[in-house]
Amino acid sequence: MNPDMNPDMDPDLDLSIDRIIRAPRKQVWDAWTQPARLAQWWVPAPTLCRVERLDVRAGGGFVTLMSDDGETYVPHLDACFLVVDAYERIVFTNAIDSGWRPVGGPAPVAMTAEVVLRDHPDGTDYRVTVRHADPASRELHAELGFADGWGTTTAQLADVAERATTAEGRTEG
Amino acid sequence: MAQHSAVLDGVFVALADPTRRAVVRRLGSGPASVGDLARDAPMTLPSFMKHVRVLESNGLIRTAKSGRVRTCELNRERFALVEDWLTEQRTIWTARTDRLERFVTEETS
Repeated sequence: MNPDMNPDMDPDLDLSIDRIIRAPRKQVWDAWTQPARLAQWWVPAPTLCRVERLDVRAGGGFVTLMSDDGETYVPHLDACFLVVDAYERIVFTNAIDSGWRPVGGPAPVAMTAEVVLRDHPDGTDYRVTVRHADPASRELHAELGFADGWGTTTAQLADVAERATTAEGRTEG
Repeated sequence: MAQHSAVLDGVFVALADPTRRAVVRRLGSGPASVGDLARDAPMTLPSFMKHVRVLESNGLIRTAKSGRVRTCELNRERFALVEDWLTEQRTIWTARTDRLERFVTEETS
């Protein structure tokens, strides 16, 4: 596949975030690609992050661990970079691990994340697109034949929960 | 998060059985008594009750006894957990972007 291709998004499976960050593009890049910097923001405080591998090149490993007590670290992410354009773009996936082994099983949800940085008069135009595999839960849900009205209600509930969680997230450390 | 995963594990285990999925599907159209549900299942009542207990202990259904009849109904909040995976992923990435933004802007200032 041409690494410049940007496949379309599926709104049922994918998410995107677009934000202007008031910092130079190089600085945002460094925050993503330098282990000591990445560890500062990658997982929510007070959980601690250890960047085990950050081999920022196509095919390189991306492994992070997390710890609640600073002693016992458990797996957080074991992924592989697909595309790396210096200061511009990072694409990685957890569908294969850092050793290029395909990952089976229902968890974690398989995804490919694309991070694109562009210059902006106020700093950096920061865009993230995350494409997901169709998780088993979605098929399960269809199989159970739930009514559409129910789906709408849970979507509204989820909306409220998301706002609450995001508000909490903003007060983290 | 870990707790959330444990709950999801329980949900999937509970649903990894055709008898239990049939019960959930049936209850999707409204509450029903254990007796009515058991009539559709090709097994003895004690065997069927084990399935009901698995669904109940994982929070997928609630049961209530009135006189001699035990009625089952779906616990819809629990299913919302299964449905909202994309919302959960979006929340994770939004919070992650918040933290990155805070980190780099604090470095700059």
